[in-house]
Amino acid sequence: MTQDAQQLPGMISGGEPSATKKFDYTVIVWVVLLILLIILVANPIFQLFKESFFVSEDEAGGFTFQNYIDAFETDEYYKPMYITMMLAISVGSISLVVGAVMAWVVSRTDIPFPNLIRNGILASFVTPPFLGAIAWIFLAGQNEGWLNKWIRGLFGLSDEFYLFDIFTMKGVIFAMSLYTFPLVFIVVLAGLNNISSDVEDAANVAGGGTFHTMFSITLPLVAPSLFAGFILAALEAMILFGIPAVLAIPAGQHTMTTQLRAFMVSEDDLLGLASAYAMPMLILAVGMVWTRGIVLGRRGYATVGGKGGQRRPQKLGVWRIPIFVLCMIPLVCAIVLPAMALLTTSFMKNLGGGLVWSNLTLWNYHFILTNDAVRESIYNTIMLAIMAATGATIVAAISAFIAQRKLIRGHEYIGFMATAPIGIPGIVLAVGLFAAYTKQPFVLYGTLWIMFLAYLTKYLPLAYQTSNAGLTSIHPELEESCRIMGANRLQVFKDVTVPLFKTAVIASWILVFMPSLRELSASVLLWTTNTKVISVVIVDFYEETLLGPISALGVLLLLITLVAIAVGFRLVGRDFMRSAG
Amino acid sequence: MLKGIIAGLLAVVLLSAPAFAADDATMRAAKKEGKVTWYSSITLNIAQHICNNFNKKKMGVQCVLHRDGSGKLYRRYLQERKGGIYVADVVHTSNLGHFLNLKAKKIITPYKPAGTDNFNEKFVTKDNYWTILRAGVLMPFYNTKKIKAEDAPKTYKDFLDPKWKGKIVHSHPSYSGFVTNGMINIVNKFGWDYYKAMAKQKPKIVQSAAGGIPLVARGESWLGAGTTSYSLLKLIEKGEPLKPIVPPAGLALVTSPNGVFTKAPNPNAARVFTDYLFSMETMQLLADYFLYVGNPDVKYPKALPALKDINLMAIGGAELKKKNKPTRKMFKKLFGV
Repeated sequence: MTQDAQQLPGMISGGEPSATKKFDYTVIVWVVLLILLIILVANPIFQLFKESFFVSEDEAGGFTFQNYIDAFETDEYYKPMYITMMLAISVGSISLVVGAVMAWVVSRTDIPFPNLIRNGILASFVTPPFLGAIAWIFLAGQNEGWLNKWIRGLFGLSDEFYLFDIFTMKGVIFAMSLYTFPLVFIVVLAGLNNISSDVEDAANVAGGGTFHTMFSITLPLVAPSLFAGFILAALEAMILFGIPAVLAIPAGQHTMTTQLRAFMVSEDDLLGLASAYAMPMLILAVGMVWTRGIVLGRRGYATVGGKGGQRRPQKLGVWRIPIFVLCMIPLVCAIVLPAMALLTTSFMKNLGGGLVWSNLTLWNYHFILTNDAVRESIYNTIMLAIMAATGATIVAAISAFIAQRKLIRGHEYIGFMATAPIGIPGIVLAVGLFAAYTKQPFVLYGTLWIMFLAYLTKYLPLAYQTSNAGLTSIHPELEESCRIMGANRLQVFKDVTVPLFKTAVIASWILVFMPSLRELSASVLLWTTNTKVISVVIVDFYEETLLGPISALGVLLLLITLVAIAVGFRLVGRDFMRSAG
Repeated sequence: MLKGIIAGLLAVVLLSAPAFAADDATMRAAKKEGKVTWYSSITLNIAQHICNNFNKKKMGVQCVLHRDGSGKLYRRYLQERKGGIYVADVVHTSNLGHFLNLKAKKIITPYKPAGTDNFNEKFVTKDNYWTILRAGVLMPFYNTKKIKAEDAPKTYKDFLDPKWKGKIVHSHPSYSGFVTNGMINIVNKFGWDYYKAMAKQKPKIVQSAAGGIPLVARGESWLGAGTTSYSLLKLIEKGEPLKPIVPPAGLALVTSPNGVFTKAPNPNAARVFTDYLFSMETMQLLADYFLYVGNPDVKYPKALPALKDINLMAIGGAELKKKNKPTRKMFKKLFGV
């Protein structure tokens, strides 16, 4: 930081003194932001609301309450809501326990290879959940799942015996938890890292053992992080589309997201019904995010705040190795086993042929690479991810800068606006965008632009938080000194802030780029013939149960993601994914 | 707009032209359009195969394939039409009922593909709004590694034996026109009680009619309630441990029409492509894929039973149109999704 400061005078030498009286840029900034917000959030939500009160027909219909009556009256549509709530609570709780315990182990104990665990969890975070779910069919299918066959072989049990059945609600909860516990882990780890070990040491000195200290001292101190983590995981479980589409539908169960999509792709025009059905999801999600904000916003914990003093690891003693093994289980389940299952299946000629030499083939790879839809989808996916990452990063960086540096009147609302979409589930947003931009005069449907809007809206909050965190660490004094020396705001931004701000910007770019590669819940409603992306092609193939080609495509998607992570590591250093929390 | 009118006029003029050779003008116009978008519900590997073959001809027209289930294709087209977006040129699904609706609203336009004069009369229509591209039957099947031939179900009712509970896979009528068609036939024969009992068997629900095959091939499920005969027989040829079941009550015949959209953005390419679909080359390709076609000159694989040797159940387009929605609704009610 000091080194940079010394270079400053040279860097702005080209700057000229600013004009005496200048146009107030505040107005322009507000107008641009407002237009953006209207396009991205307000209009889609308004159209969603409007459609829910109209008769949807292929020819225009009139005002009605019937959509709400249909959506909430019959058991068939009511049941998915119940299932979704049940999923949110179970997945939230399981993720909370697993994520929090692992965060404590990594942060506070002398566990071997803590970095391996931490990076492994971050890696499971970038694995597409729907891909994991498909892989788990190969692993935990009732009859032919590897794990069931292995157990049968081990104990000499009959073909009828099975321990796991992935096509059940338990299977859905399991698969979801695998990909949501990292959320809790990240949040709680951040919380734990902010607490000094002094308080824990005090407890130890007073005679409390490792676990007693954890429960009576550490746990209460990270309570807000725990709550936030639970909300995040529960929310994710509520709005996930891929896993229930893969595992719950075959079991004859809809969740709200899969039911919503079923409405949207029904032969009958059910846009109104879908819109009405989306309302409770929207309200619940916004409510959950709001509650989280309130709890996290409360800063009544004096010990938390700023990096605390030293942290000394608690001794696990004889439990060291068993706990390490336990911690590896979720990682093996989330990454290692699914990757293995996809890889082997992708090389199998006949699905019923088993894993023998004569049954190996490259046919699945040949199939996907000669398939027009796949080739186009690879291009579209990468294109969209670049567009979304660039768009979200630019908007986020500028808004964060304006908000942090208090450059315009009303700057305190900018943060709210940039993070407002955080409560809107991707699939609900997609229904809104669909309602808003499939009609004249703004027909964006059928182009990559409508998907770009969806991605931008969905990931803007993430980019904003990353930029904001990055900016907080840059002292305004640096900028102010340049202003004193005569540089105008733009020059300061270009020559001082941007160079210092670069790491956060790159991190935010990659943090948007990676989930964009596998975005499903919005894409699945917005794609058209010419705008397929890899994730929807996989779901498309799954509807034909093309398990071999799916596996090959999954391997391909994982490879692309790995390359993205590797590039990220090179550019920003290995810690860049931590800011995701 | 003007382009559209000219193209339309051109199309009308050319409609009266009898054979491929006379279509030089269409061909030239098609080249200018450069591509044709085909909304098709035939399984992906076949649809892609046809498109790839067409593209290999280097006629200056690129085939763009959009493969999806019959129901979803129908919704997508109507949705796009509502927004004034016209992407698709040619449409092919397994739901004749949809084609009746499309015809009534003049969304599809008459076109007689070249070379169909000698076709089996059941595959062509008088008004030429559509021509049947392929036919198949909805076939129950089982995994030969999991079930011995003597234990396998022989009739539809055998599927209701409690010993198969949780071991059956069933496809979804909202997705697959093939399945909607088959279900209506089976309900006609056995009533809805059959499906009420089937729901109690807790089958796994997949989407596409062909979607059950991989699950049964893997042995994850043991029995399929009904799949497209062509996908099944092709995979048996490939060596998957599967076997069809031919119940004495008969198999549901599903004929899948192909038509041209009135507002096709590439009307000439649409006609060139449609001619290609019904050309001897594609007809033989479909036959090799175990499908029945209208052209009497194709050679069928030995393993494919002749249509006349199968006890067939069949319904007309009007019945399909009428019972389509109630069937989907009832399925949702019984099976939950």
